[in-house]
Formats: sequence, structure tokens, C-alpha cells
Amino acid sequence: MIDILRIIVDFTAFYSIYLMLSVSLNLEYGYTGIPNFGKVMFFAGGAFTVGAIAGRMLAPLAGIDLSKLDYCMKNVYVGSLVSRYLAQHAGLALAVFIALVIAGSLVGAFLGWLASYPSIRLREDYLGMTLVVSGELLRIVSLNYDPLICGTFGAKTPNPFSFLSGFAMDVTRSAFMFTIAMLTWLIVGRLVKSPFGRLLKAIRDEEEAAEALGKDVVKVRMKVLMLGSAIAGAAGALYAFYLGIVHPSDYAPLRTFIVWVMVIIGGAGNNLGAAVGALIYLFVDRTLAIAKTYMPALPFDLNYLTYVFLGIILILVLIFKPEGLIPESLEVREEIREEASQ
Amino acid sequence: MFSIEVIIDAITFSNLIIALAIGLTLTYMTLKVPNFAHGDTAVIGIYTAYTLTIMLGIHPYASMPIAFLLGGALSIITYILVYRVIGQKGGSITTLMIASIAVEVIIRSSLHIYADIMPKITSTFFRGFTFSKYDFSISIGEATLPGVLIVSTLTITGIVVSLYLFLTRTKFGTAMRATIENPSLASTLGVDVEKVYLVSWFLAGGLAALSGIFLAFQIPSDPESGWGLLLRVFAASVLGGLDNIFGAVLGGAVIGFSEILGIYLLSKPPIGLSPAYRPAIPYLMFILVLLFAPKGITSINLKKLIGGEEKK
Repeated sequence: MIDILRIIVDFTAFYSIYLMLSVSLNLEYGYTGIPNFGKVMFFAGGAFTVGAIAGRMLAPLAGIDLSKLDYCMKNVYVGSLVSRYLAQHAGLALAVFIALVIAGSLVGAFLGWLASYPSIRLREDYLGMTLVVSGELLRIVSLNYDPLICGTFGAKTPNPFSFLSGFAMDVTRSAFMFTIAMLTWLIVGRLVKSPFGRLLKAIRDEEEAAEALGKDVVKVRMKVLMLGSAIAGAAGALYAFYLGIVHPSDYAPLRTFIVWVMVIIGGAGNNLGAAVGALIYLFVDRTLAIAKTYMPALPFDLNYLTYVFLGIILILVLIFKPEGLIPESLEVREEIREEASQ
Repeated sequence: MFSIEVIIDAITFSNLIIALAIGLTLTYMTLKVPNFAHGDTAVIGIYTAYTLTIMLGIHPYASMPIAFLLGGALSIITYILVYRVIGQKGGSITTLMIASIAVEVIIRSSLHIYADIMPKITSTFFRGFTFSKYDFSISIGEATLPGVLIVSTLTITGIVVSLYLFLTRTKFGTAMRATIENPSLASTLGVDVEKVYLVSWFLAGGLAALSGIFLAFQIPSDPESGWGLLLRVFAASVLGGLDNIFGAVLGGAVIGFSEILGIYLLSKPPIGLSPAYRPAIPYLMFILVLLFAPKGITSINLKKLIGGEEKK
């Protein structure tokens, strides 16, 4: 019984992270038409913030003199001492957790601003390429610049929920993550139904018209990329705490692809689609992960086959059902009905 | 300032980037979509040559025509099955880009599966291999020239010259240029636009697979090699303006040389940067180009050079 509960708790944690990523991409691409092919960069930005700051910041409190040891060589040791210290100070632990998630989202927003700077005025193809390239640039730096997250060693992140233990800790952590993700989902849902949301769709569909009506298209797109990246940064910070370690290889471009799969399958341009898409993907992914342990050994890594199938499914959806499982028009119809009944 | 080895390295690497940038530009000109699977097509070429070498003992250079045909065929298949279908259904550029990324993931993951399975059949490793032991070399005085320098330079020069002649001197080449300039007008004038696109995609894929082989003569290759190549080729093609094959040649040369010479200088004292930062050079250049010359630094001058102005 506890096994099933554990799977659900685990699933909730993962779902929270992917929900935030898919909501943010949907805001950028689905509503505003920004092809963010560098999603992983902003996600990494948040995670790296936690990886770079948490251990170093809390080490002196836990009684460790960082000037006397090589942090990168000893960061696992430092991390566990810090976790032990945090276990005695629950209030501080939660404050650090919240503060670093906010810091992660600020770093995400900053990266969003930085990435939009050379490219947001450009056509979507140039914009897409720039975001991919910028993401890889960040990955190369993180792999080789040890003062950030200790390069190929990776950086241990302290566990802010160490004041609890076992299943209670997992449940609390997942509950925190899920609350943050749901709040994000609800806030974005309100935002896109506001006049600002209609402006986004106008920019997506009729950029010239929006411009002719005196809207500053460049500025709005910049704002959206920053907001989306802030959400992705917060998701990255949550992920870093959840895994307990930040390693550059975990932030490869394939992660961006997965978020795209969610948004396209769920249905771009509607908030419910983003949530459903993330749910479907994660369900398939987790089921396969569990099934893998029961399957006879394959002559190759099953993950690659999963990616092949995801790619094929994505192309089939783009060809036969480009509006996704939950088309945008449904949501619009819903809105009209709501307005009529008022 | 630079040793002869560094210069040789820079020329060989540039040849590869040039070949790939020509292909990327060719397909970009047809659908206005950057083909994200272009780097992986190069890796298809590497694995074709490697498999033929291991299983049948064919020299990697001798596999170049086979790699060309295979890469071209694969490129055409993806065009027909994916891009053309989505294009006909009115898919936007972003939709085509997403599809292209999906194709990239499919090819790369399939290559991984191949690289997982093959060692069990051939009992040789299929990741991190190079062709350098198959290469020949020529000594001229003090210097030793590796075969890949000579072969790749001759191949790329041959390709550029024949492409130039093909585009400017043949009827089909003229039709191709017309189609790229204005597809609907060309179609009205009786040009078979579809045929032009098929030829473009075939040439692009073939060139990529053929020149990918040169990479494996220089550095160890695995299924991930294509992704890093792709981003460099983006840089080279954007530098070349993305609308001009000869711009791509110049862009490829600039990016290739900057990367090799740049990291050589930066990794020496006083800077002493880790050589692992090498790919950051083309990526940074890409961003600088977008900041200061988003249309590519070469397009204007080169158009005049090859007589593109007449069309106006």
C-alpha cells in the first residue's frame, strides 16, 4: 500500500515541475507565439542558483569554514552537514527554501531578459535558433566553470525538509511543490483571460495589427519571455531541491523537447491543455520507468526508444491534430458561454 | 604565431562546417526553416562509413559516395513525410521547426540504439571512435599533411565549384535560383517547384552525410556529435545570411577558423582558458552576429560578386 502512495507522492512532485514548465511554454508559445526552444536554459538557471548558493550560504551556519576546504571536492559532505543543521531549524529551512525558489525565478527572469535582448525583434526562426544556442552556452559554462555548480562533479543541494523524515517528508515536500505549481497554473490562467491575455493572442495572430493599434509588441514579448522564464526558473529551483543534486548533464536540450511534446499534445494556447499534456507525458514516462524494472534486459537503453516514439507522436499530432487534445477554441467557447450567462 | 598543425586543423574543420552550412542554407531557402536534423545527418554519414569499415573493411573515404546517397535519401524522406505534409496543411514556420526538432530527436535516439546494439554484433565499440588510423599523410619538406586535409579541401572545393556552375550555367540551376527567389512566380513560369525542393533536400542531406566522415578523422564521434555540429552550422549559416550558398561558404570558413584559432590563443597564457570552452566561441559569435548584423555580414557584397543583382 505504501508503495502505491509513494508512487503517487513521487508523481506529484514530478508533475509539479513539469506542470510549471509546460504552463510557462504555453504562455510563451501557445498564447504569444514565441518559439522558446531554449526552455532548458531558464530551468537550469533556477536549478543552478540553488546549486551555487544553498550549500555555500548555509555552510558557515552549520559550522563549516569554507576557506579551509575545497568546496567542490567536499560539497556532498558539506551538503549533508547543512541538511543536518537545517533539520534542527525548521523555520530557517523553509525560509531558505522559499527564498531560493524566488531567487531561482529571478535568475530565470534575468536570463529571459538577456536572451530576448539580441533576438526578440527577430523572426521566429532566428529567435528559435538563438534560444537553443544560448541554452547550450549556459551548459558549457556550467560544465567547465567550477565556482558555479562544481562542473562535472555537480553540486549537492541541502534538504530543506530534513526536519521531517521518511514518508512524512516526501508528502510535505510534494505538497509544497504542488501548491506552488497550482498557484502558478491558476495565476497564468487568470492572466491569459485578462485583457493582457487578449493582447498576447493579438500579437500572436496579427502582429502588425497589434502594432498599428499602438501596442509595443517587442516590449510585451520581452515581458512574456521574462515571465515564462521566471516560472521555469522556479521549477528548476524546485527540481534542484527535489533531486538533492544539481548536475549540468541533467539540463540537456532533450528536456526542452519534452516540454514541447507536452504543450503540443495537450493543445497550445489553452491553459488546461498545458496541464493535461504534462499529465499524459508524465503518466507514460513513469509507467515506462516502472515497467522497465520488470522487463527482460533489452540490447539497448529503453529511454532512446521512448524518445523515438515521442518524436513520432509529436509529428503525427502536428500533422493530424495540430490543435492538440484540448483545442484552443474549446476554451474560447467556454469563455463566451461564461460571459453570456452573467 | 600559429603552428602548422593548428592551421591544418582549422582548414579541415572549416571544410566540414562549410559543407554543412551549404546544405543547411539550401534547405532553409526552400521552406524558410532551419533544419535541426542537419547535424544528425552528418552523423548518419559517420556511422555508415564506420559500419562499412568494421563489417566489410571498406576504407572510410571509399564510403563517401554511399554516405552521400544514404544521407540524401534520408533527407528526402523526411522532407516528403514530414515537412511537405505539414507545409501543405498550412503549418507555420514554428510548427515546421517543432517537427524538425522531433525529426532530430528521432534520428539521434535511433543512432543511440544502433550504437547500443552494434557492439554486441561486431564486438567493437560504436561510440568515441575515430578514423585517424585509416588516414594517410603526405610529407612536404618539414610539414606532414594529413590525408583528411587534402581530401576534404579537394572535396569541398569541388562541391563549391560544381554548385556554382550548376546554379549559374545549367537550366535547372537557373530554375532553382528562380524558385528560391519567388516560388509562386517560378511556378507560373513553368518551373517544377516540387522537383527543385526535392533536389535541394537531397543535395543538402547527401553533402551533410558525406562531409560528416571528415569529422570522424579529426575527433572521436558518437550519436551526440551532430547536435554540437548543428549549432556551429547555425552560426555559420546565419553569418552567411541564410539566403546565399556562397555566404554559407564564407560563414563556414569564418566560424571554423575562429573556433580553432580562437581556442588555441585563449587556452595559452596569459588567459589559459580550458579548451573545453571551445564550442562557446561559435555560439558567442552567433549571438554577436544577431546583435550587430542580423542579416549576415556577407549577403550584400557576395550577391554583387556572383551577379545576384541582375535579377532585380
